[in-house]
Amino acid sequence: MKKTFLLASAVTAMIASDVVAKDLTVCVSWSNFREERWKTDEAAIKGALDAAGAEYISADAQTSATKQLADIEGMITQGCSSLIILAQDSASIGPALDAAEDADIPVVGYDRMIDDPRAFYLTFDNVEVGRMQARAVLAAQPSGRYVMIKGSPVDPNADFLRGGQQEVLQAALDAGDIEIVAEAYTDDWQPANAQRNMEQILTQTDNGVDAVVASNDGTAGGVVAALTAQGMAGIPVSGQDGDMAALNRVALGTQTVSVWKDSRALGKAAGEIAVALAQGAAKADVDGSAIFNSPGGNDLNSVLLAPIPITQDKLSIVLDAGWISKDTLCAGVSGVAVCE
Amino acid sequence: MSGSRRTSELAGPFCAGLARRFVSTIVAASGLACSGVAASADKSELVFMDRSKALPVEHVYGGGWDFFVGGGVAVFDCNGDGFPEIFAAGGEHPSHLFLNTSSKGGEITFVLAPLEPIERATGAYPLDVDGDGIIDLVVMRHGPNILLQGKPDCAFAPAPDSWGYEPGNEWTTSFTATFESGQSWPTLVFGNYVDRTNPNGPFEACDRNFVLRPEGNSFAGRTPLEPGFCALSMLISDWKRNGEPDLRISNDRQYYVRDGREQMWRLDPLEEYGAEDGWPDMKLWGMGIGSRDITGDGLPEVVLTSMGDQPLQINQGNGVMTNAPYSIGTYATTPYVGDDGRPSTGWHAEFGDMNNDGLDDLFIAKGNVDQMPSNPIFDPNNLLVQQADGIFLEMGGTTGVGTIERARGAALADLNRDGLLDIVVVNRRAPLEVWQNTSNSVGGWVSVEMSAPAPNTRAVGAIIEIRTEYGSTQTREITVGGGHASGSATPAHFGLGDFESAEIRVTWPDNTESDWVPLKTNALYSVMPTAGSKLKLEPK
Repeated sequence: MKKTFLLASAVTAMIASDVVAKDLTVCVSWSNFREERWKTDEAAIKGALDAAGAEYISADAQTSATKQLADIEGMITQGCSSLIILAQDSASIGPALDAAEDADIPVVGYDRMIDDPRAFYLTFDNVEVGRMQARAVLAAQPSGRYVMIKGSPVDPNADFLRGGQQEVLQAALDAGDIEIVAEAYTDDWQPANAQRNMEQILTQTDNGVDAVVASNDGTAGGVVAALTAQGMAGIPVSGQDGDMAALNRVALGTQTVSVWKDSRALGKAAGEIAVALAQGAAKADVDGSAIFNSPGGNDLNSVLLAPIPITQDKLSIVLDAGWISKDTLCAGVSGVAVCE
Repeated sequence: MSGSRRTSELAGPFCAGLARRFVSTIVAASGLACSGVAASADKSELVFMDRSKALPVEHVYGGGWDFFVGGGVAVFDCNGDGFPEIFAAGGEHPSHLFLNTSSKGGEITFVLAPLEPIERATGAYPLDVDGDGIIDLVVMRHGPNILLQGKPDCAFAPAPDSWGYEPGNEWTTSFTATFESGQSWPTLVFGNYVDRTNPNGPFEACDRNFVLRPEGNSFAGRTPLEPGFCALSMLISDWKRNGEPDLRISNDRQYYVRDGREQMWRLDPLEEYGAEDGWPDMKLWGMGIGSRDITGDGLPEVVLTSMGDQPLQINQGNGVMTNAPYSIGTYATTPYVGDDGRPSTGWHAEFGDMNNDGLDDLFIAKGNVDQMPSNPIFDPNNLLVQQADGIFLEMGGTTGVGTIERARGAALADLNRDGLLDIVVVNRRAPLEVWQNTSNSVGGWVSVEMSAPAPNTRAVGAIIEIRTEYGSTQTREITVGGGHASGSATPAHFGLGDFESAEIRVTWPDNTESDWVPLKTNALYSVMPTAGSKLKLEPK
């Protein structure tokens, strides 16, 4: 790949869209295919590869970082034009990148960052998710006492989210309009832990809380449970993931926003980028590619897809996309247009 | 370099080790480096009897978050009858001392021994601290650790003031010890978990560890060992076989979060290995260390329990450890029963030859931390039985020992002196289990108990080698530490397969090496040094 770099970058724009990807095989290494959500992603990847005429082969690491290395080496032996890797443990995926580099195979790091410039980084923009969460809450509650319920302390995404939230809230904090009265990590992203943290915060603050920036729908569920117990349900609460229960809460008015990341869009982009790289496109020439400055100090070629903030007036988006049924979305809801 | 070459590099030394170990004409003739081992016993004959109900009282490790980790067991003979006793830590429940009343080859039985109440115990390790030949007991606690002086007939009393022992007041979750060169008493190392006094905890709030060095026949204060990264297992071992034991610490990523790692320390002066030593930056949910030479080259491998992969690292010599290939069968990443694909949680790991075929097997205690939804709630223990080709096969399910409770500490020990290793498992929120190994048609064995002059009466640091007629050699280091909060001071047990005679050689802690001395199989020996390079072997 390195040798063909100059030539490839000159012609990429021409070949990428027109030429059918004959004889291309895209190899996909899943971290744990037993997790339900990846089946949606896989269908979208396959759809993009079918459209380009490329073959799909895959392996399931079944949560083993060591098996994942063996899987990738095995697929490389079978023959891969490019690799999509959903890393089980990005800290130990290095040998797979070595093997891919030795065999001149481009790599797309899917959804979870592989902090290595040899891998293309494709994910949703998690900093933007955080901004969207804070923006929606701030619009609903421009002043008062805020609580920040963060994600798992071992998940780098938790800090990306928190960073985005801070960007949006900074001006209101500086102006003294809002005040952060408490913030807590949520061990393992568990709703029960978020609920316990929120209960403690309500006790400590004597229920003096006006809004909660929660980092995903699971933690938002825990927060809303704690608020409901104190008769405080209905104050602004954020979330993300487009969970069915969370979208229902948005319709009910107990959650302000669920930032939705449509995994079908992510899978489709992964298929398309893997084909483009296999055809010789330079990482920097991939459509929409930008440099992402990683926590490890690397400049990663990346595409960060924009998420969609689903607020009560935007519920038709998830309904029209077939993401959720009207029955599920509107259970117990009255007076909301989309549910009428 | 291609991926396949990389794989063969991983596999190569492993196979070579096996070949060195089993220098048989079959291997030489077939040219198959990894096959043709002289093992014979039929693994399908592994049978265990559940003797948990034979305990006089149910023992449960329990408590809140403070006792999510820990749950250790110590196994040792404190009345000199050759039948090992069990001390089990109870957390917020009572700790118990069970006296072994089994008869030779009979069903395993225990009675309750008197013991002053010990609260908030997380685990225990047996060793002879004062060199009187009677086992003393280190009891780790959430709070000041207790050092118990062993008296005759399994009586224990708090260490006398003259020992200069300082108990600390941390959340202790790991321990290891050694006798350093020129010292008459052991060096003790205590590993601690989260610092509960840190208001910003529990994340990124790991406590310091502490070293207690002796000065003459007492301890001379506590030296902090920093940084600490929430140590759940420690093992001092001469892993390079250069006569300079190092301290390995396995740490829990759950609470150090980012800036921690698996650690290796030089003991003198205390100094952590770093990149300049070729020590890799490895992060695990480190829970337990199991150590044993399984490749036959005399250098100990280690298995490190964690969440998901339970990595087995092959000792390549010169201070280099590399991950074994996934195909070796010990990674035990997810439960092997049911369809729960979530990564399982490993705690105590211990090697032992369960079917006496001359190949060490591996037991891993598994169990959810408590209610972690990212991991299976029903997480069976592993009994990974090594095959002639060096691959480990899961037999936890077929033998029945793969129970699904929240297991923590464990021990492999011959509790009824029938030449078969039995299994003890401590569970969080469920009763302690005892599994009597009743396998038939297994191979021969030999057990050796080291007995040396004071102060190091159990020869901690000694290397035992047992070789059979074809020259295959098993190597064992006497250590104190490792596992998960659990340690044994029991005879070293060796399976011998079909071989009817064997020879023993001992490298004593002072590095003097004995001659090879023949011994008869299917017997327990007390092994003592003698003048010159002989050994005194006394059948027990």
